[in-house]
Amino acid sequence: MAAHGFWIEAWRRYRRRPLAMAALGFVGFLMAVATFAPAIAGTKPVLCRYKGRIYAPCLAYFDRRFEPAIFAKDKFRGTYPKNLAEKDPESWAIWPLFFQDPYRAVRADEWPGRPENPSMDKGVPSRMHPFGTDQAGVDVLAKMVHGTTVALLVGFVSMGIAGTIGILVGALGGYFGGWIDAVTSRVTEIVMCIPTLVLILAIVAIIEKPTIWHTMAIIGFTGWTGIARLTRGEFLRLKGAEYVTAARAAGAGPLRIMLRHILPNALAPILVPITFGIAAAILVESGLSFLGFGAPPPSASWGSILNGARSNLAMWWLVVFPGVAIFLTVLAYNLVGEGLQEATDPRLREARK
Amino acid sequence: MVTYLVRRLMLGCVTLVAITIVVYALARAMPGNPLTAQLGEDPSRKVSAADYERMQRAYGLDKSWPEGYLQWAGNLLRGDLGRSITRKQPVTTLIGERLGPTLLVSGTAFLLIWTLAIPLGLYASARSGTADERGVSLVLYALYSFPTFVAALFLQIMFSVWSKGAAWELPLFGMADLPPDAPLGSRIIDVARHMILPVVCQTYVSLAYDTRFIRATMAEAVRQDYIRTARAKGAGPWRVLFRHAFRNTLIPLVTLLGLSLPSLVGGSIIIEQIFTWPGMGRLFFESIRERDYPTIMGLTLMFSVLTLLGQLLADLLYCAVDPRVSVE
Repeated sequence: MAAHGFWIEAWRRYRRRPLAMAALGFVGFLMAVATFAPAIAGTKPVLCRYKGRIYAPCLAYFDRRFEPAIFAKDKFRGTYPKNLAEKDPESWAIWPLFFQDPYRAVRADEWPGRPENPSMDKGVPSRMHPFGTDQAGVDVLAKMVHGTTVALLVGFVSMGIAGTIGILVGALGGYFGGWIDAVTSRVTEIVMCIPTLVLILAIVAIIEKPTIWHTMAIIGFTGWTGIARLTRGEFLRLKGAEYVTAARAAGAGPLRIMLRHILPNALAPILVPITFGIAAAILVESGLSFLGFGAPPPSASWGSILNGARSNLAMWWLVVFPGVAIFLTVLAYNLVGEGLQEATDPRLREARK
Repeated sequence: MVTYLVRRLMLGCVTLVAITIVVYALARAMPGNPLTAQLGEDPSRKVSAADYERMQRAYGLDKSWPEGYLQWAGNLLRGDLGRSITRKQPVTTLIGERLGPTLLVSGTAFLLIWTLAIPLGLYASARSGTADERGVSLVLYALYSFPTFVAALFLQIMFSVWSKGAAWELPLFGMADLPPDAPLGSRIIDVARHMILPVVCQTYVSLAYDTRFIRATMAEAVRQDYIRTARAKGAGPWRVLFRHAFRNTLIPLVTLLGLSLPSLVGGSIIIEQIFTWPGMGRLFFESIRERDYPTIMGLTLMFSVLTLLGQLLADLLYCAVDPRVSVE
C-alpha cells in the first residue's frame, strides 16, 4: 500500500515527542496491569496443584465459568489457602502478588499475618492496604487493579463501535452526496442534538439488567457524530482527487474506491478524534458509574469506587486514588491523540520548520 | 440568503420533529411511568387498581406512545408545553424556576472563562516555544483531562470536610442556607458562598479548552502571508499579534461562542447533581428518574432548539464576517 511510508514517517515524528511517548508507555502499562490483574491482586491461586492435577483458578476473575468445577464440588466457597492445605496436604499453589479480593473483604485468618479488612472510616490507607478499603471493607488497590480492564475495554470497544458507525455514515454521505448525504447528515444532526447523557440515562433505564458491555455499546452508539462529520468532510475533499478519477476510469467500483483508495488517505485525520473519543468514553463511563447508572456492583469500575465516596466524604482515599487513575488515563489518551495529530497533520508539520 | 434561511429553518423543524419523536419513544419505553415511580417509594400512598386506572386515564398514560406524542405535539402547536405529572405544575413554570439558578452559575463561569481565556491564549501564542509557555500549556492540558466529578469531590473534601470551622470553609451543597426573610446583604453572601465550588468546577475545563483553541487558531493565523508582510513593514511583535493575527481569529471564536449557547442555559447535569444545585441539569436528571414525560419533553425541546439555533447562528456569523465563505 502506498500509505506505508507515510505511517513510518509519522511514527518517526511521533517518537520525537517525549510526552506523547510517555503517554503511550502509560497506556502499555495499563494494558499489562489489565492482562495480569488476577496475578497481581486476588485471593485465588495463579497456579495450584490439587489432588494430582494442575489448575489456574485465577482465570475465574476474567469469567466465572473458568473456575474449575472441582473446587465448587469440594466446597471451597472461594477461600483457597486453608481449604487447599486441609483437603490435600500434598497440594501447592502460586499466589498473586497481593492477597486481596476486588469483590469481597478478606476475613480474619484467611492468610497468615493478614488481619480482617477494616471497613467504613477505619479503612485509612496503611501498610496492609496501600490505597485503603471501602465501606464494605473491600481493598481499593485490588478493586483498581481489576478495574483497569473495564477502563481499557470501555475505550476500545465503544470507540470501535463509534468509529465503525462514524466512518460508514460519513463515507456514504461524503462519497455519494445527493439524497444519501441529506439523510445521513440529518441523522447525524439528530443524534448530535439530543443531550448525550440524557440519551444514555434513558437507554440504561430501558435495559433491565445493564452490564458493562451494554454501557460500552451505548457510549459507542451515541458517540459517533464527530467522527462521521470529519469522515464526510475528508471523503468530500478526496473524491475529487485525480487518483480517484483514475481508479474510476480503470473500472473500480464505488466500494473498492471507498475502501482501497480514499479511506487509507483519510485515516490519519479520522484517527485523531477516535483517540480523543477513547478519553471521552472513559470519562463518560466513570461519570455514569459515579452517578450510579453504570454496571451493577460486581463489576469493579473506577467510577463506582468514587460513587462510594459521595455518601461519606471523610473517606478521602476513595476519591484520591481512583480519581487520579481516571485523570492519568484520560490525560494519556489525550496526549497520544495530540501526538498523533502533530505527527500526521502536514500543516502543523510545516509550522515546525 | 432568504431562501437559504427558509431552507435551514424548515430542515431544523424536520430535525426537531425527529428528535422529539425519538426522545418521547425512549421516555415511554423506560420501565414504569410517573405514577409508579412516585407511588412506589411511599407504601402509605398505595392506591387501588381502579384509582390507578383512573389516574392513568387522567394523565393520558393509557394511550400508546404514538398517540401520546401526537397529543403532546398538538398541545405544543397551541403553545402549551403541558403540566408536570409528578410536580403538578406547568412545565414552563418549572423551567422558569430553574433557569435563574443555572444562569447564575453558568453565566458567572462563562464570564470568567472568556475574560481569562483570551489573555491566556494570547500570552501562550506570544511566548510560543518558551519554557514558561510550555509549563502553562501543560497545566491547561492536565486541567482539560481532569474529570469534573473528581474535581468536585476533591474540592468538597478540601473546603468542607478538612476545613471544618476554618474561615475558608464552604458549604457542601444546596444554594442557600438562610431563610428568604433574612436581610438581603447576608443572603447574597450566602448564595455567593454556595456558588464558588460549582462555578470553579464549571469554569476550569472550558477555560483549558478555550485557551488551547485560541492558541491553535492563533498559530494558524500567524502562519499566513499577511503576518509576514506586517513583520516586514516593521510592526512590533505585540502589534502584529493584536492588530493582524488576533482580529482574524475572532471568526472561529464567535463560532465557538454560538456553539456554547445550549450549555450556558442547560447547565451541567453532573455538577448540579453533586452540589444539589436547583438548576436545569438537575431538573432533567430528576425528570428522567421520575419518568415525568412532559418535563423531559419540554427540556429536550429547549435543548434541541438552542443547539440548532447555535449552529445556525455560528454559520451565519461565519458568512457575515468572512466574505470568502458563502452560505450556498
